[in-house]
Amino acid sequence: MSDDPATTTPSSISDDNTDATATTATATATDTAVADDSSYSTKPSRPHITWCDSYTKAQSAVDSLSSILPHVPPSLSSSETPATSLLHDPEIAKEFSRLLRQPDSGLGDNNLCRWLYDTFQTGQPALQLVVLRFLPILAGVYLSRASLHKPLAGFEAVLLALYAHETTVRNGQAITVSIPDLSHSSIYHETTKTPKNTATELNIAVLSPTLEPHGTVRSTRRARIVGVALELYYTKISQIPVDSKIEFCEFCRIWAGEDGDKGKGKEGRINLPWELLQPMLRILGHCLMGPDKSKELHEAACCACRSLYARSLHDINPKAILATGSLLRLVNMTSDLDNFDHTDIPQTNLIAL
Amino acid sequence: MSEGESEEFGQLEIDASVRQVCANGICMQTTVVEAKLDEGNIQEAESALREGLSLNFEEARALLGRLEYQRGNVEGALRVFDGIDLQAAIQRMQPQAEKPPSKKGRSRSDSVHAGSQHAASLVLEAVYLKAKSLQKLGRVNEAAQECKSVLDAVEKIFCDGIPDVLVDSKLQETVSHAVELLPELWKQAGSNSEAMSAYRRALLSQWNLDNDCCARIQKAFAVFLLYSGVEFGPPSLAVQIDGSYVPRNNLEEAILLFMILMRKFYIGKIKWDPSIIEHLTFALSLCGQTSVLAKQLEEVMPGVIHRTDRWKTLALCHSGAGQNDTALNLLRKSLHKHEDPDDIFSLLLAAKICSEDTFLAAEGVEYAQRAIANSSGLNEHLKGVGFRVLGLCLGKQAKVSSSDFERSRLQSEALRSLASATALEKENTDLILELGVQYAEHRNLNAALRYARRYIDATGGSVLGGWRLLALVLSAQQRYSEAVVVIDAALDETAKWDQGPLLRMKAKLQISQSLHTDAIETYRYLLALVQAQRKSYGPLRVFPQVEDDKVNEYDVWHGLANLYSSLSHWKDAEICLGKARALVEFSADTNFYILSFVTVSGLMLERRGELHEALSAYTNALLLEPSYVPCKILLGSLLCKMGLKMLPLARTLLSDALRIEPTNRTAWYHLGLVHRDDGRMADAVDCFQAASMLEESDPVESFTSIL
Repeated sequence: MSDDPATTTPSSISDDNTDATATTATATATDTAVADDSSYSTKPSRPHITWCDSYTKAQSAVDSLSSILPHVPPSLSSSETPATSLLHDPEIAKEFSRLLRQPDSGLGDNNLCRWLYDTFQTGQPALQLVVLRFLPILAGVYLSRASLHKPLAGFEAVLLALYAHETTVRNGQAITVSIPDLSHSSIYHETTKTPKNTATELNIAVLSPTLEPHGTVRSTRRARIVGVALELYYTKISQIPVDSKIEFCEFCRIWAGEDGDKGKGKEGRINLPWELLQPMLRILGHCLMGPDKSKELHEAACCACRSLYARSLHDINPKAILATGSLLRLVNMTSDLDNFDHTDIPQTNLIAL
Repeated sequence: MSEGESEEFGQLEIDASVRQVCANGICMQTTVVEAKLDEGNIQEAESALREGLSLNFEEARALLGRLEYQRGNVEGALRVFDGIDLQAAIQRMQPQAEKPPSKKGRSRSDSVHAGSQHAASLVLEAVYLKAKSLQKLGRVNEAAQECKSVLDAVEKIFCDGIPDVLVDSKLQETVSHAVELLPELWKQAGSNSEAMSAYRRALLSQWNLDNDCCARIQKAFAVFLLYSGVEFGPPSLAVQIDGSYVPRNNLEEAILLFMILMRKFYIGKIKWDPSIIEHLTFALSLCGQTSVLAKQLEEVMPGVIHRTDRWKTLALCHSGAGQNDTALNLLRKSLHKHEDPDDIFSLLLAAKICSEDTFLAAEGVEYAQRAIANSSGLNEHLKGVGFRVLGLCLGKQAKVSSSDFERSRLQSEALRSLASATALEKENTDLILELGVQYAEHRNLNAALRYARRYIDATGGSVLGGWRLLALVLSAQQRYSEAVVVIDAALDETAKWDQGPLLRMKAKLQISQSLHTDAIETYRYLLALVQAQRKSYGPLRVFPQVEDDKVNEYDVWHGLANLYSSLSHWKDAEICLGKARALVEFSADTNFYILSFVTVSGLMLERRGELHEALSAYTNALLLEPSYVPCKILLGSLLCKMGLKMLPLARTLLSDALRIEPTNRTAWYHLGLVHRDDGRMADAVDCFQAASMLEESDPVESFTSIL
């Protein structure tokens, strides 16, 4: 991930080609996804996506911003890689963040929600990334407002589009994990025991259950829909700017509603069923232990982790306590460990041939 | 200078405080050479070394480069290394092209004799240090290329892997370093997929790495897989061996590697690294596989993890996997007065587990009280949780209390505790639901209704339990049609696959309204749903929210059989029973199903007037499970109809049922009948009164089924 647009261009173009099939499928799935909200139309899909096509779509996304933002940074309009510039532009991030937090931001006729929806529906991976970049704020504001009986059709349209996309990519299938059992040999170890028939005896864990199509956000499925959107976010997380991850961590803290020290419940605390908490924890694990070395992100993630740990204690939720507790202990361990470079040659005054 | 030289030469004894270079049995101090290097005069420095130690050009340059590197002058080291053609040197050492390396045997690598190994060692170390220098200068991409060229060269020289014994230790050290460094460099360069390939290459090829080095790479790779957020896909087919486990995704590969590291520790191959178990904990908790984690923890040798810590973590693992009995036993050990009796979290978890079982509730009350007493200082914030579990335990305890007075006292205390918890945790919506259920249990239905509404409001209707409580409270108030309206609203907010529990309740509500045809319709719909669900998803469909009270096919057949038999549709009832029987055979929870199956069959026999067959069905069920309340009541009521001689037996059975479930309306009613038939009118009146009071506030399903 680089801030320099020039270096990221080739990868975003190659993405276009590889994702072409998924893109077409998404566009067709969209019809069902928001069928009830006629104001959100779908765009015709094209089987062949060229660089020119992706440039045009990104350019038109930038152009349509002028109706939403008072001022579109000129660097965007003139950029040769508009999608990448959109993703990393600090001014856009600031404006979007402000607009998404406004009291009426989630309405069905909200311009920014429409823009996010349309931009995601272009099917361009680079543009979809721009939408995902704002998922933490969108989901954060949405979930905090969901119980206030305000119309939130704009937010929901965007979330349903993400959900439909993930459903299509996964073909509705569950994500499972076969838990290894060391009594069978693996590619990394051998065992003296004779191999039994391996596959049948492994412990299968469901990481994310099967996905069914949802045309609207039914309240009991709200957490799942946001959870799946976060799963999609996680699959792209290595391309997401650090600022977006910091925003995610801040919402984790708000959703947890616990400080750990003072312990008084806070505004914004929401129900955290496992279907929402689990993808949150995966993202948080990345923020804490992943390759990003941003100090600010690390601090935000530590803070979020402490809050979620306190919340897990309050909920007496064993799985969540184990997961958040282990992350906290890892953070404390890494701070004083890992400074020794095992790959360096020993320092000595005697240099022998 | 000549004075200095004469002093420097020939000193074989080693003075560790002065930097020296040694070769061919000669050592010399480096002051002169360093001075020349500082002047930027590499050539002179080189010739000083060549003369002093009788070295060739390459050897002198390699030594010079290392000197610069050791001095921390990495830029200087790079300048020195640039002066020799390393690639050409590598090529010289490779096996000739016309002899393609054979896959079998080690003839090729054996032929790499000691002399060329020494040369290889020298050159490879130089390239490696070049990579290291580039890394230190932040030129990680170039560093990775250099480092990779070391490994490529080694693979070409030793085409069948590095032999265990033949290799020069210096060369082995360089190889190990390079293997470990390469993936780190790619990571620093932000090339995730290159890093991944480098890790797999490190671990799947023969580099003859020592245990520690291999373990470090495995750990770093597993961490990378677990947290990088980039999915790489399974290893190539080339490395897959028949019958061995091949991870299909990052998470599987990470878990495998951490498990291997754990095992290396058990068998003493590596030292204990506490971070490994923490990473494994994180990964396995995310998959919900805490029972696997428990097995891993149990294998850790005593003394490595403090025993109370281990008990606590194990308790969390077992509780997370639904094995609450085991979890509670572990917590009892760790809460023993000689261990860690004041640990607030163990107390809370123990109390929570006890709150789910009527026979443990009293024990739970004690844990909860201790937890509240210990929630001070840093743990002050857990006080509300203490009150909450105390309330839950008291409420559960009230259910089995022997006297009305005791029950009412416990229920009031439960409500008080939950209210204290609410005062401390205003934002905690779970408390609203728990208070609602508690009021409902206390038969304060108006308050229960208020809390059910508040809960639906606060959660935005996102939790099924809220809807179900509201409908149940309404059903207890005998406002059935309103309850159906609530269920319909809830159905509207629920995706099709999760509607099972709501439909089941709807059918029961319709039966209460004597809308039998509608109820049959609802059951049919529910049946279709349950069957479709089973067929299309199989075992992979787990929804946390409704997992606990998922309606299964047996329930539906059972309900239908009961409904048909109450309508005297014997044939339909028998068909349904037949279907239910077929399912019992495949069920894991067989005992419960046989019980409920035998009971419902008996009920049908009784309704058809086949009293003796019914009697034997009930007796069989009770032999299987002596404390099964529904069957006790049915048998009691049947005996009551069989003449005066049977009345004492009937009375014993019904009293026994009431001892287990004091608020069971049917049991009170039938006990009243027994008293009446026996001529104890005053007792009969009391029983009927109790039954009628309970009937007025009896929900269609138990209130506690919600929590």
